[in-house]
Amino acid sequence: MAELSMNKVVKRYGATQVVHGVDLDIKDGEFCVFVGPSGCGKSTLLRMIAGLEETSEGRMTIGPKDVTHFDPAERGVAMVFQTYALYPHMTVRENMSFGLKISGEDKTVIKEKVDKAGQILKLADYMDRKPKALSGGQRQRVAIGRAIVRQPDVFLFDEPLSNLDAELRVEMRVEIARLHKQLGATMIYVTHDQVEAMTMADKIVVLRAGRIEQVGAPVELYENPDNLFVAGFIGSPRMNFFDGEVIELGFHQVMVTVPRLGNVVVPVAVQSELRLGQPVTLGLRPEHFDPKGDVKVTLPIDVHENLGGVSYVYSNSDEADLPIIVELRGQRPPVGSDLEIGLNPEFALLFDPQSEERIR
Amino acid sequence: MSDLTQTLPQVKSGPDWVLIRKRTRSFIAHAFVLTLVAIMLLPLFYMVMMSFKTSTEIAQDPLGLPESLYWGNYMAALSSMGYVRSVLNSIGITISVIVVVVLTGAMAAYPLARMNNRISKTIVMVMALGLATPNFVTITPIYVIFRDLGLLDSYLGIVLAFAALKLPLAVFFYTGFIAAIPMDLEEAAKLDNCNSWQIFWHVIRPLLAPVTATLSLFIMIMVWNDFIYPLLLLTDKSKLTVMIAVYKFVGNTGIDPTKLFPAAVLGSLPLLIMFVAFQRKIMAGATAGAVK
Ligand SMILES: Nc1ncnc2c1ncn2[C@@H]1O[C@H](COP(=O)(O)OP(=O)(O)OP(=O)(O)O)[C@@H](O)[C@H]1O
Ligand SMILES: [Mg+2]
Repeated sequence: MAELSMNKVVKRYGATQVVHGVDLDIKDGEFCVFVGPSGCGKSTLLRMIAGLEETSEGRMTIGPKDVTHFDPAERGVAMVFQTYALYPHMTVRENMSFGLKISGEDKTVIKEKVDKAGQILKLADYMDRKPKALSGGQRQRVAIGRAIVRQPDVFLFDEPLSNLDAELRVEMRVEIARLHKQLGATMIYVTHDQVEAMTMADKIVVLRAGRIEQVGAPVELYENPDNLFVAGFIGSPRMNFFDGEVIELGFHQVMVTVPRLGNVVVPVAVQSELRLGQPVTLGLRPEHFDPKGDVKVTLPIDVHENLGGVSYVYSNSDEADLPIIVELRGQRPPVGSDLEIGLNPEFALLFDPQSEERIR
Repeated sequence: MSDLTQTLPQVKSGPDWVLIRKRTRSFIAHAFVLTLVAIMLLPLFYMVMMSFKTSTEIAQDPLGLPESLYWGNYMAALSSMGYVRSVLNSIGITISVIVVVVLTGAMAAYPLARMNNRISKTIVMVMALGLATPNFVTITPIYVIFRDLGLLDSYLGIVLAFAALKLPLAVFFYTGFIAAIPMDLEEAAKLDNCNSWQIFWHVIRPLLAPVTATLSLFIMIMVWNDFIYPLLLLTDKSKLTVMIAVYKFVGNTGIDPTKLFPAAVLGSLPLLIMFVAFQRKIMAGATAGAVK
């Protein structure tokens, strides 16, 4: 068990820099999820923590130790790979025992630990099979078992569920969450999957192009994003963004007109000083459209996606901008008609279109 | 139910031309392959047949079948060629060469497959040259070098010579195969506390089993049947390989067919046995060691 801390960590491949001075603290026992678009450096950062990639600059500590230049095995970390990376020529038991055997652990101790891990992961019946004779989910469990038996301070997962089908993903997601509770270990988890990130994380780290955009609890990132990128990245379907202009200043509140919504005037609460005529970007999540909302808008319906409980309406999709997405419950208006709906201005967020930062 | 059957298209009676064409094509292909096999087996058949004929039979009808299986030729050949000794020599030399080539070849190929810089590429190129060099070019230098090193007429010398000659093949085989082993496996091993040597020994080497079986087979056939190098490097009668012993029956003045043919059969027999044994291994290895 240990906390992990990164201080101005940089990664360069030759002349190209892919991680730009990341500062991050992860508490003991925390479940931390890295998210971000493809190529933003999630795996690279994770592999730097594992010691599989050299850290070009900066320091990294796990517990009391400065591990910046430690070998992978000395760091007290275990990693679960996306491809499982099981040794094909070894049985499940041998796969899980291998690390301990190499480290010179006592045979009876190894057996005890491996049996226990096999029990936790419901692998007891497969101990003598080769990985080839296992299903994807079972292989993933073996990979996790291999990590568990080493009793690491920090578990690292690189998109561990992305090769599984949807149903198995949910199952394994729950299982990993359970494991986290049971072991109480620090876990760092890379994923593309919004749902995984939102449901599993104590803390989400949003990365873009090798930089941290925001760190926070899932709900915090969802309700209170620091910038346009995080607002647009967290949440599915994504947040709607509208160009707007400040037309009236009030006490801790401004009036914003939104041309794309038929020049409706939306009152938004802000603390900062704005000026009249200032261009702003207004963000509103699909679920914050509401038939009972104070501000009424009319939207032509281009596409209607019905998911059962909720449905999504896509509007104005023929314009150059991204379509406006509206979440509906119960209502099933026909495609081609106009949707009369209100919006809840208390949920609207303002951003500076230039710096893309949030205006609070 | 009845609606369904009615809407199905009527099955046409009469010959099914698609099936007939398919069968004909497969028949022609099989006939072609079988002909090729027969052509390849013909010399072997001839050799075995000749080994059972008496000298009169050979003189009167060189291409005919023997009247009965005459074992006298084998007795004569066995007694005059030092069979057991030379077979043991061949087996010893072949196995030693395989062990040396497989071990050094795999160990050389591992870094070559994993490093991606100019030096490793140059080394691979040089290895390819080794593959392309004709045997005759190396004969004289090898003889001179081995004479100066005092390695003539020794088992060590002949094993070293063969190993050096076959190493490029092994490195080539292994580099391609190791490059296809996912890096993830090595990284997992690193996290499992392995150093480079342990990664090679515990993770890479076992995965090379199928390719090692194939490679060993190749080397076995080449080394067993080679007689240029044993002829060049060995003179002591007790150290000769079985193929040289067979070749002794091709004299300067003439050939004694009643001894040459049984000797040739005897010379290839151990190879055939090892081949069959090996083949099972290859199949087992190919299914057990496959990555993923
Ligand atoms: N060996 C390398 N040499 C040069 N650049 C590299 C190397 N490995 C990764 N990169 C670059 O580093 C960046 C980050 O890669 P990384 O694999 O960490 O992305 P990622 O966030 O994990 O993406 P994904 O979600 O697709 O897995 C990418 O732009 C990639 O091109
Ligand atoms: Mg990745």
